[in-house]
Amino acid sequence: MDTNTNMAAFFLEMFSYPFMQRAFVSGALLAVLLAALGVFVTVRKMAFFGDGIAHSSLAGIAVAMLAGLAPLPVALVWALFVALLIWRLERSTRLPSDTLIGVFFTASMALGVVLMSFSRGYQPELLSYLFGSILTIQSGDLLVTAALSLVIMGWLFLSFRSLTYMSLAEDSAAVAGTDVRSQTAALYVALALATVRGVKILGIILVSALIILPTAAGRMLAYSFRSYVIGSLFLSELMILSGLTVSYRFDLPSGATIVLVGAAIFFLAAAWKTMDGAFSVRAVGRQPR
Amino acid sequence: MPNSSSTTNNGRPSPEHEEHGHESHAHTRAHADILPAVSVRNLSVSFDRQKVVSDVSFEVPQGDILALLGPNGSGKTTLLRAMLGLIPYTGEVRIFGKHLHAVRELIAYVPQRFDFDRNFPITVREFMDLARHRHSPPGRVAVRLQDVGLAPEIQSARLGSLSGGQLQRVLIAQALINNPLVLFLDEPAANIDITGEATLTGLLEQLRDKTDVTIVMVSHDIAMVSGLVDKVLCLNGQMMCFGPPETALTEKSIKEIFGDRKRLFSHGHQH
Repeated sequence: MDTNTNMAAFFLEMFSYPFMQRAFVSGALLAVLLAALGVFVTVRKMAFFGDGIAHSSLAGIAVAMLAGLAPLPVALVWALFVALLIWRLERSTRLPSDTLIGVFFTASMALGVVLMSFSRGYQPELLSYLFGSILTIQSGDLLVTAALSLVIMGWLFLSFRSLTYMSLAEDSAAVAGTDVRSQTAALYVALALATVRGVKILGIILVSALIILPTAAGRMLAYSFRSYVIGSLFLSELMILSGLTVSYRFDLPSGATIVLVGAAIFFLAAAWKTMDGAFSVRAVGRQPR
Repeated sequence: MPNSSSTTNNGRPSPEHEEHGHESHAHTRAHADILPAVSVRNLSVSFDRQKVVSDVSFEVPQGDILALLGPNGSGKTTLLRAMLGLIPYTGEVRIFGKHLHAVRELIAYVPQRFDFDRNFPITVREFMDLARHRHSPPGRVAVRLQDVGLAPEIQSARLGSLSGGQLQRVLIAQALINNPLVLFLDEPAANIDITGEATLTGLLEQLRDKTDVTIVMVSHDIAMVSGLVDKVLCLNGQMMCFGPPETALTEKSIKEIFGDRKRLFSHGHQH
């Protein structure tokens, strides 16, 4: 009874803070969004994409800070520009996407560092973008995230089958009538928008964990594509909501705590998969000949 | 089987007989008597300003099987991919007299290679469903799997657990799921063993004999296609021969395309 009362009191206190309410709602929305997009990132073997886009956005943030503009909208535009440039160069240069992402990741990050060197003094805001800060999430941010989630999830819902088909068998999907070119561009744009929105909570350095960790863990536990998608969304919510709770309870940095919780989920899934594999091998070994 | 003359493996009419006559198919069939299923005019493909397929023209009547024959690097796959609009080309490709974009629902394609992560979690049923049109009944997945000689239970298997031959048959079943009128196959026997090849040949014979689906297939195996197809198109950058295998595959034409060695495989034709 005491334990229950204490727990209820803890949650009541945590949710009495508007910044925590905003962090939870924003986190819950981004968890669904990034995990759903992450499924296609995994199928297309582009796990590096989120990382590349997030790090590229540093240049946009630096430009905004120097010009005295709001950093996130500028970072958003910059990320969109980079995503579309990667898409365009993929087609014209025939280089693998990971190579192009690596080019833009490093070049854009370097540009950001050089631009930052022009601004004088300590930049506390910069640190919040690098490592994330739930304190910086405002009501306006929440509305933008909600609107973006609605649009992207709506598009994903409508295009889910063709996106999956083209990610697995691009030529067959194209012959069947899927506009592979536009759908790929739309996927890159959606990923860029969602990743930059996630920067507020997890920061540039860690945001790609929301794309990779739940889908990697979900994939190890899933048998079918349906269970893979549902499992990844569930694990993503579990990762971000329990991560935020733990970070509040022990006064830890939110972004890093969420990633550590996600990593714990991943290792548990890996352990389960390893044990399951070992049991399967033994069971096969015991079968009569 | 994929059209209005549809039958099951037992030769009985398919229960989905009536659904084959949807509007676009019916409309196309109305023109099928007068228009060739596939018509290619002066098709050329260039990579880096070098022509790899040069000025190819031919027609395939509905219900025929055409094999694109040639050695490696002769442009067979390039020609097929151009016909499907997957790579840029000059010239004209018409399916039942229409541009490819207007007849997407009538065609299907089985690529030569299907490279996918074998550990990826997707079942056979889910994979088949990706290609199924929304107006097609879900039960057609099992029917098409049976058509290619696979048990319906395989639907719940993971795609990555299938053997090369089973996977090839699933790819063909997936291509047939919307009852295409023209089927494009790129080296369908490339990744399967001799038993699988015999099953594949049997399946293509069944499609030829019991349906009026038109098949355009790429192959480098004269022995496999010569008893199966209605026409062959020999390619070596440009069209070297075209016509029924009996007349087109002469000793001279085979030698021109493949060199002397291929004579060993040209089993039993009167050249």
